[in-house]
Parts: sequence; structure tokens; C-alpha cells
Amino acid sequence: MTAALEPASADELAALLRNRPGRVRLAGSGSRRDRLPPADGAVEVRLHRLAGIQRLDAGDQTCSVEPGLPRERLDAALAEKDLELPCPGGGTLGGLFAHDPLGAGGPGNVAPRSLLLGLEGVLADGTRFRSGARVVKSVAGFDVHKLLVGSDGRLFAATLLHLRLRPRPPAAAWFRRAGLEVAAACRLFQALRAQPVPPAPLQLRRTADGCAVTGRFAGRAAYVGERLRALELPEHTPDPVDHLAAPAGGEVLAGIVLPSRLPDLLPALAGTFVLRGDGRFELAVASPAAADAALPQLAAHGAHARIAAAAPARRGRGTPLDPGAEHLLARLRRALDPDGVLA
Amino acid sequence: MLRPVSNLERELVRLLGAQRVLADPDSLLAWECDGFTVHRSRPRAVVQPESTAEVQAVLRLLHAGRVPFVPRGAGTCLSGGPTAGERAVVIDLLRMRQVLAIAADDLYAVVQPGVVNLDLTAAVRHLGLHYAPDPSSQSVCTIGGNLAENSGGPHCLKYGTTADHVLGALVVLPDGRLARLGDPAGPRPPGVPDLPGLFCGSEGTFGIATEITVRLCRDPESVRTLLAAFASMRDACRTVSDIVGRGLVPAALEVLDQSTIRAVEASVYRAGYPAGAAAVLLVELDGPESSTAEELEEVRACAAGHAALRIELASDPAERARLWKGRKGAFGAMGRLATDLYVLDGVVPRTRLEEALARIAAIGERHGVVLNNVFHAGDGNLHPNISFDGRDADQTARAMAAGNEILQVCVDLGGSITGEHGVGSEKLDHIGMMFSPTDLEVMARVRAAFDPDGLCNPGKALPQRAACAEVAKWPQMVARVLGEGEGPA
Repeated sequence: MTAALEPASADELAALLRNRPGRVRLAGSGSRRDRLPPADGAVEVRLHRLAGIQRLDAGDQTCSVEPGLPRERLDAALAEKDLELPCPGGGTLGGLFAHDPLGAGGPGNVAPRSLLLGLEGVLADGTRFRSGARVVKSVAGFDVHKLLVGSDGRLFAATLLHLRLRPRPPAAAWFRRAGLEVAAACRLFQALRAQPVPPAPLQLRRTADGCAVTGRFAGRAAYVGERLRALELPEHTPDPVDHLAAPAGGEVLAGIVLPSRLPDLLPALAGTFVLRGDGRFELAVASPAAADAALPQLAAHGAHARIAAAAPARRGRGTPLDPGAEHLLARLRRALDPDGVLA
Repeated sequence: MLRPVSNLERELVRLLGAQRVLADPDSLLAWECDGFTVHRSRPRAVVQPESTAEVQAVLRLLHAGRVPFVPRGAGTCLSGGPTAGERAVVIDLLRMRQVLAIAADDLYAVVQPGVVNLDLTAAVRHLGLHYAPDPSSQSVCTIGGNLAENSGGPHCLKYGTTADHVLGALVVLPDGRLARLGDPAGPRPPGVPDLPGLFCGSEGTFGIATEITVRLCRDPESVRTLLAAFASMRDACRTVSDIVGRGLVPAALEVLDQSTIRAVEASVYRAGYPAGAAAVLLVELDGPESSTAEELEEVRACAAGHAALRIELASDPAERARLWKGRKGAFGAMGRLATDLYVLDGVVPRTRLEEALARIAAIGERHGVVLNNVFHAGDGNLHPNISFDGRDADQTARAMAAGNEILQVCVDLGGSITGEHGVGSEKLDHIGMMFSPTDLEVMARVRAAFDPDGLCNPGKALPQRAACAEVAKWPQMVARVLGEGEGPA
């Protein structure tokens, strides 16, 4: 990767791309740099100077923010209005949506894809465009903005994100039950997912010390207290894990799996494992060989995964994609970035 | 049915059998329009496949002959989406109505596109589950149609629209190729952007989904439905703002205006709404018993604080059904007022509802049209309904002119020309209010990635290519998408 460019506005970014700087790797704060496939020879274009909150409409529970805005700054602004962006994930807002980390906390909870109402963006050739709307509901035009979610910044750059917000719950309490066997942990995890209002976030973790289920009930104070008592869940300090760190010489795989497959799958996998309530997981293994061995196991249980944290050359390998989807994705890349500028 | 006369029809009969290919002009009458009756056109033929393989075979045949086609569900769309031109073949999906899988533990179902929305909930009710998106036409509209339009409904305020509930789809692309988007485990396998999210709301222009994987929701512990009647629309709107401002997230917040109330009460959908009220507000709260009880008191206080004339709480499921009957039947009730109904679907920021409604009323008066309002107040999604006689050219012209101005008001206030009905053929002239030619060109590029030949529901959702100033660039752009131009494969 060569030196970074740091545009301070959407106009500057568009002008920069129109000047055809060669291959470009888009980045926010750079916090996810180590999880992307290599982009040799690409210029890193950091969007962290596009960091404004352009609009915060508390009555409509929407806001428009620039992609380089750090999550904690948005959270602070929202807290003053008793609002929140109800999905986990840190770094910049652009990075959060482009890389869509381990998803929302549970069924019925809001996933990042549902919070992105629209955007303003720039194509790789500098063309500026809009998609979606600022309001909470719109079906006008094709939802090109949905392609940002999970794109790793390889289809276009977002310069303004229109986001849906939610009121902060009046009460919340974290819980953690540790020291569980796999089967017991899976049963508790599924029982919690089946709650009328499931905990969010919700995580099942397996480490060398056994399994633990952790999460947060939120809502009216009476409900939160009653749930903890009824399910005999001990309160605990918040300790959600956004990403697993790769052990020395090891790797991390990230993917999705149906939670019902876990009792059979988990005993077949070695390493530290975290599963979110929405089925997204990470698995940290001791070596590249262990990662290669885990991929067919995961595929056999209907999971999809790829190597996320590893030596650059190995990042992005994973279970096979549907050929039709892969074909479509290639066509979309050509449609939006015909010269293959975005790496 | 008359015998097929062209080679195309003969080939279609060979694929599906004579009973599932309709080509006689009289038998095509039922497919000449959807719920947007202003645009009518009888298709070349209608075919009724029963499987993914049959859809693939039909699309391969049509693709080879460069014949345009239009997928269609129940035909309840309100924007002309499934109305076909004279050259096009309608792919009627109503025979594909099987629920293929129900996974209660993992909270999803796989359905064919012709499954009726409410039938899916009926199929999982015994498991304590339901399918959340609930368009007003849910007793007849199909999941495939909901996917194409990204349909909403009253309960989308809390639970989101169709796109939020679609995990994946098996899609037959316009050339007959298959693509599996998303997965029951999640809409986005790692390394892949949100393709189901993009496909949802593409108005039948990207391909035909033949298997749709949707998220199921647990039934709430308790549901409380409250009706509040007001002497003015202003009081109803301010009550909505108060409820939202208190941090409550009701399952639904619906408003009917005075003329809608009168139409409902004079119809078979009579629900006992107070005829003298200027507006009624329906509020539904769901969730844990202890929470809904507290929230109900807060809602009641909000309504009372804005001088509600009457506050009525549904005491049992029958009462709840009665209160909803009027709302769900509001569009049907308006059928009494005139032969035709133009249902608008604009969205404004919730905080601008009061202003938007005042401006809409003024537009109605200026054009001398009969105008009723029933709307999803919590989402700011307005449904101004203009009753008119489509046989009268002057009435039709005034209805269209009023509709045009109303949509411009929505955009001027920071909103959208459509919240849940789609652009279809109806709003092709309005989409430029929201998007520039460049925005539309980017969308056209995305469409071309799915359908480079422009055969799948042409002339819908986006203006014709000439209108978005793309006619000159189109051949090069398609070549690039297909990989025939420069750029990596």
C-alpha cells in the first residue's frame, strides 16, 4: 500500500477519483485494515476527515452523517437526545456499514442493513450519486445504498449516510452465565433467542474455560428485572466482543451459521468461538492448517465463512459462494467500477 | 381458450401445456392492469409456471427470442408495476404457492412467490410465530409481490418493511440463469454485499424469485389496541409526535381523517368510529405484558393531553379486530365514492405531518377533487386518496395534476414520492423530483447487471433510458457490465 490521501469533503474525494489515482483502497480510521485482502500498489484513501453530523432530527429519529465520523462521537450526540443507533460495531460509521461487523444482537433486533435509509456516494470514476432517502420509509428507485453493507468499500464510496435511529431503552441490564457445557450453552442461547423480546446483544462464547452466554435485556425496568429473575441470569458488567484477535501464528474465520446447527458443529471445531444472536460467528484457531481444516467442517454444517484475520495472502479465502451470486457480484462490480479502481 | 397462433405461443404450450398458457385476447382481460387502473394494457400472453425449472425454461425461451416479460403475483400492486405492454408475456406466479420449509428453531420459512402473505402467518401460527410485514392487502397479496415492491404495512413502524424480513431468495435471472442470494443463516454471507436487500424493491425488473427465505417473528406476549378520536387533525398529529417523543415504539400508529371515517362507517367495513370526529388515531402496542400496560397509560395520557374526544381500548381480540376492520377496509370503503381511486403514497418526516396535510388539503381544494387521507402516521407515510371517475377526462386530469403536486410537497418537505407502493409505471414522471439523471443512470447500471437486455418488466421503476439521458452511453455500459469492455473480469 502506498501513501494515504485524506480528502476533507465529498467534492475533494470526487475530484481525487476523477484524477484517476490508480487503484484505491478506501478506509475510515483504518481499524479494519488488517481484516481485508491485500491491495498491493493501491493508494489508501482515508475518509476520516469527512466526520460531520450534517443533520440530527430527533423528532423523526433520523440523522445524516459523514462516513469518517467515529461511532463514539455519534453515540454521544445521540445520547443527548435519548436516542441510539441500535447496532453494535465501532470505528467510523462508514467502516461500520461497509464492513458490517458481527451484525445485530438477536432476532427481532435491528441489523445494520435496516438502519441505512439512503446515502450520497461517489463512484470510482468520481461520479456523485444518491440512493434511498432521509425518511424512514422510501421505495423510490433501486436501493443501491444496500450494496454498501458488506461491500468492504469495493463498489463505491459513501460520502453521507442517512440513518434510522431508535429511542434509548428506559432500562437495561447485562447478564452472563459461565462454566457451561456446549449442549447446555446452546440450549440457553436458543431459549434466549426465543424470548418475546430477545436480549440484544446476545453472545455465546466458547474458550478454553468452557462456554458462557452473555447478553443485555433492555426495555421497561419491570420487564428487565422480571426476565433476569425468571431465567435465573446473574447480572454482569458489559463485556461484548466485537472481534476475536488471532492468536500468535493463528487466524480468525468469520461467517454465518444457523444456531440450531451449533450443538453438532461446535464439538467438531477447535479454537475460541463467538456466536451472535443473529447467527454471525468468529472462530480463532491456532494455525493456518487449523483454519483450512475448519472450512469444510463449517460448510458441512451449512455455515458460510471466510478467513478474516490472517497473513494478507490468506485473507478472503473461504467456503464457496453460490456461482450465480458470484456471477452477479462480478457484473455489479463492472457496472459500478468498470476499471477495477476500488481494491 | 383459442388455439395458440404464433411460434412463441406454440413453444410456451410445449413447455407448460395448453391449460397454463393464455393467449386469447378475451381471457387476458384480468391481466390488463393492477390496482392502478389508470394504466391499462393487455399482454401478449400469460403463462402460469409451477416450479423453478418451468420459470427457467420459459425465461430461456423468451430471452432467446428477445421477448419482454413481466412477473406478476396477485395484481394488488398500486403503481402499475405488473401491467404488461402488448409485446410482453406475463409470468403469473399464483400457482407457485407452496410453503417449502418452516424452521421454528431458527425462525425462518422458505416459500414460493405465490404464497399469500396472510397464509404464511396462518401456516406458522400454531408455533407461536408470525410473518410481520402486513400490507393492507395481506389477505390476497403474495410474498413474491411483497418482495418485488418491498411492501410495508401498519406494523412496519416497529418491525420494518419486507426488506428487513427477507434473508434470501433463489432468483431466476432474465437469461434463465439461477442465482441464490443470501442464506437462511443470514442475508449476507461473508464477503458479499447485501444482494437480497438490493433485490427487494426492484419491482420485478431484476429477475423472478422462485424461493424466498423470510424471517419469522415470535408472537408478542400481549397486544393492546387503542383508538383515540380528535376534533382536529392537528390534535391527532401532535399526539403522534408526543407518543414518539416519549420514546415509545408502538407496533402501529395509524390515522384516518374525517372523510375516510365517514366512508368507512357507511360501508361494510363499519367499525364504530365516531362519525363526528375530524380524525381517529389507532395505536397498537405489543410486547411483554408488564411493558404494554405501562405504555398504554402513557399513550392514553398523550391523547388526553391533546383533548381526545373519545379514547377506546380494545378489551379482547374481537374488539381489536373491529377497530382494525375500519382501517384495513378503508381503501375498499372508498370504492363507494367513485368508480376510480388514485392512491398516493408519499412520505414526509414525521415532524412535518401537520404541515404536509394542510398543504395537501389546499391542493385538493384548488383542483376540486374528492380527497381522503388514511396514513401510517408513525412512519410519516401518507396515503392521500383521490376518488374520481376515470371515464371523465377532466376528472382524471385533475386527479393526476393534484397527485403530482402532492408528491412534490412530500419531496419539498424532505420526503419521498413512495413509501411502499413503488414507482411502477405510475411515478415514472415523478422520480425526477427525487433523483438527478446521474442518480438514475447509476441505478440503470445496477439494473443492467441483472438484465442487460432490458427484457424484465421494461419501462417500470426507472424512466426509459432516453429520459435519463443515457441512450447514447447504453451500449458501451452494457458491454462493460457483460465483461466485453475494458476492466477486470
